[in-house]
Amino acid sequence: MAMFDHLLRDIRSVVFRDGAQNAIPPLDGALSPNDRLDSAVPIGDALPGLDDVVVARDGSVYVSARTKVFKLTGNGLATRTLVAEFDGDAGGLAIHPDGRLLVCVAGRGLAAIDPARVEPRWLDKADGHVLTGLLSVTAAPDGRIFAVEGSTGRAPEQWRHDLMEKRSDGRLIACGAALDDAQVLLRDLPYPYGVAVSADGNSLWLTESWAHRLSRFALTSNGIAPREVIAGNLAGYPARLHLDAHGGFFLGLFARRTHLIEFVLKEDDFRKEMIATMAPDYWIAPAFAGGGDCLEPMQIGSVKALGIQKPWAPPRSYGLLVHLDGEGEATDSLHSRAGGRFHGVTAACDSQYGVVIAARGAGRLLLYTGDLR
Amino acid sequence: MSITTDNFAASVRRFSPRLLLSELLLKQWFEPVIPFTVMIGLWLYFALTIPNYASVQNTVSLLRLFAEFGFVALAMGFCLISGGIDLSVGAIFALCNFSALFFLLVLEWPVGLVIAATLAVGAVLGAINGFLIGYLKTRPFLTTLVTLIILRASVNLLNTGYAQMFATNSVDSEAWDYFGGGSVFGIPINAATLFVVLLVCHIFLSRSRYGWHLTAIGASRKAARHAGIRVRLMLFATYVLSGTLCAASGIFYAARQASTDSTTGVGWEFQALTAVVLGGVSLAGGKGTVWRAMIGALIIFLLTNGLVRMGIPGYVTSAVTGMILLAAVGIDVKWSKNRGKAIQKIYVNPAFVALAPAPALQRGSASPFAQNDRLIHAQAIGLDQVEGPEDVILDRQGRLYGSTRDGNVIRFSGPNFEAREVFAHIGGRPLGMQFDRDENLIVAVAGMGVYGVALNGGVFKVTDETNRTWYKLNDDSRLRMADDLDIAPDGKIYFSDCTTRYEMTTNTLDILEARPNGRLVCYDPATKTTRTVINHFYFPNGVCVSHDGKSVLIASTSLCKVFRYWIDGPNKGRTEVLIDELPGNPDNINRASDGTYWLALVGIRTPTFDLASRKPGFRLRMVKQVPADEWLAPGLNHGCVLKFNEAGEALESWWDPTGTSHSTLTSMREHKGYLYLGGLENNRIGRIKLDGVDENWSGYDAYWGANSRVTR
Repeated sequence: MAMFDHLLRDIRSVVFRDGAQNAIPPLDGALSPNDRLDSAVPIGDALPGLDDVVVARDGSVYVSARTKVFKLTGNGLATRTLVAEFDGDAGGLAIHPDGRLLVCVAGRGLAAIDPARVEPRWLDKADGHVLTGLLSVTAAPDGRIFAVEGSTGRAPEQWRHDLMEKRSDGRLIACGAALDDAQVLLRDLPYPYGVAVSADGNSLWLTESWAHRLSRFALTSNGIAPREVIAGNLAGYPARLHLDAHGGFFLGLFARRTHLIEFVLKEDDFRKEMIATMAPDYWIAPAFAGGGDCLEPMQIGSVKALGIQKPWAPPRSYGLLVHLDGEGEATDSLHSRAGGRFHGVTAACDSQYGVVIAARGAGRLLLYTGDLR
Repeated sequence: MSITTDNFAASVRRFSPRLLLSELLLKQWFEPVIPFTVMIGLWLYFALTIPNYASVQNTVSLLRLFAEFGFVALAMGFCLISGGIDLSVGAIFALCNFSALFFLLVLEWPVGLVIAATLAVGAVLGAINGFLIGYLKTRPFLTTLVTLIILRASVNLLNTGYAQMFATNSVDSEAWDYFGGGSVFGIPINAATLFVVLLVCHIFLSRSRYGWHLTAIGASRKAARHAGIRVRLMLFATYVLSGTLCAASGIFYAARQASTDSTTGVGWEFQALTAVVLGGVSLAGGKGTVWRAMIGALIIFLLTNGLVRMGIPGYVTSAVTGMILLAAVGIDVKWSKNRGKAIQKIYVNPAFVALAPAPALQRGSASPFAQNDRLIHAQAIGLDQVEGPEDVILDRQGRLYGSTRDGNVIRFSGPNFEAREVFAHIGGRPLGMQFDRDENLIVAVAGMGVYGVALNGGVFKVTDETNRTWYKLNDDSRLRMADDLDIAPDGKIYFSDCTTRYEMTTNTLDILEARPNGRLVCYDPATKTTRTVINHFYFPNGVCVSHDGKSVLIASTSLCKVFRYWIDGPNKGRTEVLIDELPGNPDNINRASDGTYWLALVGIRTPTFDLASRKPGFRLRMVKQVPADEWLAPGLNHGCVLKFNEAGEALESWWDPTGTSHSTLTSMREHKGYLYLGGLENNRIGRIKLDGVDENWSGYDAYWGANSRVTR
């Protein structure tokens, strides 16, 4: 009885005022919209499928794009050298305190690349379940490694299915420095995307995209303490979280939440038929980039007026990088609004030349030299 | 599944209770429906519980008792509509009752003089209120409260002096007795008079200039003053009228009862107030009719009378009346505040539409719809000098016209169209254009109708209304949104009125609603009459008379189809589907030089919008829960121009798939080897060179000159 479902939900929304239906918060304060992300300068040629970016202690920058991992060096990071190539897509990256490069490989697991050895070492199972959907990895100063698997039911490239099917089966995994002793710390998470250890090494930070949530866990000798929610209702879908050079974080939000998407998430009947009959690119769902294909859904406010798409139009895709201080409070943000160029930010890190930003939607690695803290 | 012509016709007649309710709520006359039902219900209740209640005799005697209260309630109604209140109605009534008896029994004036003098007393007492309120601008509530106290005290004073004299004196006058107990055609004289007065007052209030002034003052005194209404005089006159009506009531009461005491008319002001507010006359002023006041008065009268006859004590009745006043005032405040919102909530009523499958647009495929970039590099004319040229047209001299959102027709001339001028300012939102035989530019103007611009730039009205559909609640005689037009060889102007439920600014709602709210209308210059040709059409947009002049092609934007309506030949009067499957929402249609047609697609169908059109509940909830800016829409940023032949087969397409130069592409016009492009929200007119076409062909010649293909 679909009619009663809607009625019941309406009643629930009145009775339980702050239940699961959190209103999308406005972008204000430190998150006030601007066009600063569009002023960033692309580094080198386009990198289709660009995903994560991390900085090594020697100042070089590692970038993952599709199946490859590159190392960027030289003045302005202009020189690209191929570090590794995998069978699956390379995603999250991290530099282990002992200098190894950790790479999340879709469909395979976690690879640890030691510059001194040819073959990487692999972690491919946790709790008897193959690690097919690792999204991010990080290492604590004591050598422990933490990784998140966004979904156990859907591969990383099917992330839209994961959202629209309302899955919540991601995992947080920990293992030793030698990729041994893997254990599942948390399970049934709504698409955990980013994970980072704070600069002092005392806490683990976690983003969950479908819950629009940023949380913190104190690290204990044998695991993690209970969750502390830092931001429970973000305006977008959080992606990766990396430390900056001053103890704060860069948080990429890969898409904005829109009222229409939130509405479709409530409309089970419509959503099921949409999933069953259409290509994901044409769904009413978040997107890394949009506007190029006439079969994509359109919203009334997005109609071009006098040749211009208004920046405040409901965005099909959006570019948003937020800087957080050590306590998780947003202090500054870079935006690329509707009609802008650099959408779908999945990661960013500090380098000696400025902030290096991975705009996955645009397929561009960006260098932002202005102030961001 | 696609819609054939037959079940297209059936879908038109689909009934929606929600639609009916939303349109009923918009109607003024629907407002007192609840008090009216209560009134009927009360009467039925008493008819069932009190013996002989429903008899003719009882009804007649009830009417005789009611009429005097009816006058007083009417007086109160007028004051409320004017934005004030008259608490002194009961006291004026009592004093006039006394005056009538005094003139008759003490001064022994003739009956005619007594009536005239009593009415004058009422008018003077009302004039005192009116002077204070209208000219000295005192507050109506306090002023009439004061007059209530003074008059009530005077009546009591006078009563003590003359009561004995009234009781002992009597006159023998048939005329006076007739006022007290006579009947006209079986109806008591006082009730009959009340009915006549009601009729006159109704016509005065709803049909006369002064009645409108009165309502306007009640709605907003300041605005009425700014509009040049003589507020002070009108208010003065209102209270004089109120006093006179009370006097009439007093005369009948005096004639019927021939007595006066200290309780005459006590509490009537509150009963009248309760009655009038209950009937739906707003306490805030500016809203109400005499009938509403009467419905309320009847409810209160039936209730008090009925309760008394059921043996319920008077104080209980008073308490009940008080409760009713409280409830009525509460509902009045809430309803007048939220009525608009309530209507808004239920006005949009999406319907199920099964669109035909959308053809593939794959770039590089053999399909005539295959995407390409042929419009991206169109030459821009008047860049940033035109605001939304929905339609474009060229005259015989090769000058280019665009209809823009600022209500203008802009003309570009010169070899490269660099000279811009405002050819005519029509107002409204000019949309489709066409030249008639005499080179007048005929323009469909949303919000206004069909207008013409003469060669010298003079604007004249062609038509702005059509015949009303008798069974429709929404008055559809006005042209709401004339969209596109074309002219048949006999000079008849066929035009689309794309929606009768929405306006230019809200027409996207019509596409979301996907109901047949539009129509095809024809203006015949020979008889100067306008008739609706096809009523109930799904968002008719582009209109084009076929090359042979025997049919009209109509684009349906919300159904994504093109229809053909025969205006001549053996099939005359029939409608058929010409193009069933289109990849987008069609807009204007125009003739091409090679005997085919141009069609603009303003939006491209997206899989999600197609799915939503099959799910009316989804769209309904979306309209309610999601802000308007974020509603799902067809892909309006991706323009496309199609060419199709007489058989409805698409031949070729011209695309701007990213909408860089031509988003919301609504029109195109071929002229001497070039194709000119217009867009509803664009900042330019585009032009592309066409290959292999007749470079001497122009639109005007194809309609009225040598290139015409009309067969006779």
